[in-house]
Amino acid sequence: MPVIPALLTHAGGRPSVEALEASLLAGQTLLADTPEHVLEVVDVLNSYGVVLDAYSKNLIFQAERQFLNPFPVFRFLDGDLSPAKIWRHLNGDRINFEYAEYCMKAMLWHGTGGLDAYLDSEPFAANCKAIIRHKTGRDPLLALLHPLFPNFLPEAIRAAATTHALGQFWRVMSDLFLDLARAEADGTVRNIAEVVAFIKAGLVNAAANPITYGVHLGGERFWVLPPEAGLTFLVDVAVPYVEAVFLRGMPFLGTVSFNAQAQQISPDQAQFAYGALYADPLPTMGAGIPPSLLMQDMYRHLPERLHALYRQRSRGEGDVRVKICMSFQKSMFCVTNAAIDGTFPHALGTAVPAEQAANRAYARAWAERLAVARTDCLDPFGS
Amino acid sequence: MLSLLLLIPFLGAFVLLLSPSNPPPGRMRAIAITTLALQLLWSLRVLLAFDPHQGGMQLQDSLSWVPMIGLDYRLGIDGLSLPLVLMNGALTLVSAVCTRDISQRPRIYFALLLLISGAVNGAFLAENLLLFFLFYELELIPLWLLISIWGGTERAYAATKFLIFTAISGVLILGAFLGLALFTGTVDFSLTPILSERLSMGSQLVLLVSLLIGFGIKIPLVPFHTWLPDAHTQASSPVSVLLAGVLLKLGTYGLLRFCLGLFPQAWALVAPWLAIWAAVSVLYGSLAAIAQRDMKRMVAYSSVGHMGMILLAAAAATPVSLLGAVFQMVSHGLISALLFLLVGIVYRKTGTRDLEVLRGLLNPERGLPFTGTLMILGVMASAGLPGMAGFISEFLVFRGSIGVFPLATLLCMVGSGLTAVYFLLLVNRAYFGRMAITPASEDPSADARLDIRLSGVALRETLPALGISLAVVGLGLVPAGLGWLSETTATAMAELPALLLAASHGGLG
Repeated sequence: MPVIPALLTHAGGRPSVEALEASLLAGQTLLADTPEHVLEVVDVLNSYGVVLDAYSKNLIFQAERQFLNPFPVFRFLDGDLSPAKIWRHLNGDRINFEYAEYCMKAMLWHGTGGLDAYLDSEPFAANCKAIIRHKTGRDPLLALLHPLFPNFLPEAIRAAATTHALGQFWRVMSDLFLDLARAEADGTVRNIAEVVAFIKAGLVNAAANPITYGVHLGGERFWVLPPEAGLTFLVDVAVPYVEAVFLRGMPFLGTVSFNAQAQQISPDQAQFAYGALYADPLPTMGAGIPPSLLMQDMYRHLPERLHALYRQRSRGEGDVRVKICMSFQKSMFCVTNAAIDGTFPHALGTAVPAEQAANRAYARAWAERLAVARTDCLDPFGS
Repeated sequence: MLSLLLLIPFLGAFVLLLSPSNPPPGRMRAIAITTLALQLLWSLRVLLAFDPHQGGMQLQDSLSWVPMIGLDYRLGIDGLSLPLVLMNGALTLVSAVCTRDISQRPRIYFALLLLISGAVNGAFLAENLLLFFLFYELELIPLWLLISIWGGTERAYAATKFLIFTAISGVLILGAFLGLALFTGTVDFSLTPILSERLSMGSQLVLLVSLLIGFGIKIPLVPFHTWLPDAHTQASSPVSVLLAGVLLKLGTYGLLRFCLGLFPQAWALVAPWLAIWAAVSVLYGSLAAIAQRDMKRMVAYSSVGHMGMILLAAAAATPVSLLGAVFQMVSHGLISALLFLLVGIVYRKTGTRDLEVLRGLLNPERGLPFTGTLMILGVMASAGLPGMAGFISEFLVFRGSIGVFPLATLLCMVGSGLTAVYFLLLVNRAYFGRMAITPASEDPSADARLDIRLSGVALRETLPALGISLAVVGLGLVPAGLGWLSETTATAMAELPALLLAASHGGLG
């Protein structure tokens, strides 16, 4: 039997902007509702929840215990410096915390939302000044560095603040995804619409959670993100996170490389479309593609039910990370779906024409961005 | 001792053809593999018995067959034929191992493989011109059948073209052998250069040119090469392995053994022209390879280029260049067999060899990463990177030839450099970038979203290629073994013209 190349390729669906807008306005889910999709999304979010738990703990550890450490060699060890832990770390038998750092840097660099605005504010600069004054008094290396590079320490504090904020965000998301897995196991969540509703409810519940961050230096406590800054979970951290990590991302060199001089990368950061929703699952595990680290981490904690499903498909264990990436994109569309649902300017059932128009414009803006994302994974059979 | 190298494969072929029941294809393959493994083991036994310090033929078997026409059954082996016999044993075994899922007439297929292997051994070992010719022709029909029955869609055209070209090659070679008898007035077809001494230079040149064209078709050299890309493209991968790895070597072996060996004085006269012919062949093969979009045709044209270097080495006829020629025969045999095997895997998995279509096959999870890794190793070896077989052979050829024919050698070096150009094109197109196995559509973003579901390559499918890769690296790192086997023979061959000159002036008497 000759091999016909076209039979070995699969082109998923590509919904138009109008179709996506209509789905969002009608309150329908973007991801097709099939039992297999429910299994994939719930189980992959379950493993993601476990990984996020580790990421979150580590980010908070880094921000609090490795604060302004110029040589944070042991920052991934969570304070456990036992030889066994170091050996496992050097062997690669560990969670890839580098991915969490990559997400933090994406947030810091894209810099959208309330957190970034606060990091540019006068009160934050005053906090930094106080911290640096205190720290340089005790640390001769930093005392030498600061006058030479006056932007270095404030920038390090901004990074630490973003690290801590992301750690707090992922703490909530980790618990939410693990709760989702329990809800599906006990039959409370049975279809994709209920998955989206569950995530949306979780986001809405946590929406007003305050985001604060303080550090202890020599027995004295300093605020980096004080309560009076009024930073909250949804608007100031979750939305910038979605913007930076789901949508914009960074054009890393992978199997496809970009030539910035030939304008293959937009000079306008806001136009970036390299985030998780746009990532090509095929080059996972290629050199230089950070999301592949996440796939590897999720693979370590994959529920057996999903693992068994993967083993039956295509190359079984051989291309398991590609399949995890595809399921992960499905689940991220559900999370995005929940975030959009939860942030419509007005209730979807409103009869006021002006409110309807505002909702339409909001849905349209999202649909235009999502139409060029990897929507091929949304099909019922787009596994 | 040497007769067993013929008997084993021929007996295997007869067992396959005459077995009364109709065994399943798997058992036939097992019989063929066992026979070929025995043949390889016996070749190794011959290697152990071989004395590399002797320049002449060794371990001879002889039997008077048809003395009236000068046809004697005389077999012998020296440092030129031994590496080729070993390679024949190894690569035919690889071909049989690589043949899987053969649904059409497996009995005949495996019998033909064995027949070819035995005939090639016969040709390499024959010490009688007519005996060589018999074996030379004997491999022709089985190979024609292998292409015309188990080939691609255009197999009839390719097989017929191969048959016509090679038949003409056979006629020219037979004509030259008969001419030698006619001009010398004897029916002695034994392999001895003293025969040509009795001929005028004009007669020698006529016979030499006839042999050159005959073997030039088989090697093949430009402009007699056109059958090769067609034959390779249509042949199945195991047959391509055999064709590139073993059968083309009959041409270069003939060049060294019969052209240089029988007519050393005429050879010295035409050598400058041969060097130019070699340079043209190398450059043409390399430039044509750059223009190909079929991976297999590209490898086939690279063969044309690399085989041209053997002509250069033979033309220079220094001890180093002749040793280089032996190395080049072995390294080209291994490297081209490796590349054809790997192209075969790509074709079997993706259904295409089109370089305008294939992309990103090095993809670690959905592509063919290990095949790609070996392919990169193969093209590096072919481009002559140090540490692999290609470097040693090309270095010896160039080192041995540059003092004699500097311009032609420099041009051949350019051709060697072009190898890197076309093989990097191949690797870059087929293995890097976003994976694709179908032609690009009008919409690049749609292409970038295509999910590709190639089946994986099992380890057993890659094992033969892995074995050859190890041999390529092994020969590159430890070339002394082959050098030890062939050096004395190469030196003896290089000294032939001087020897003959001395003989003709009574210097030996």
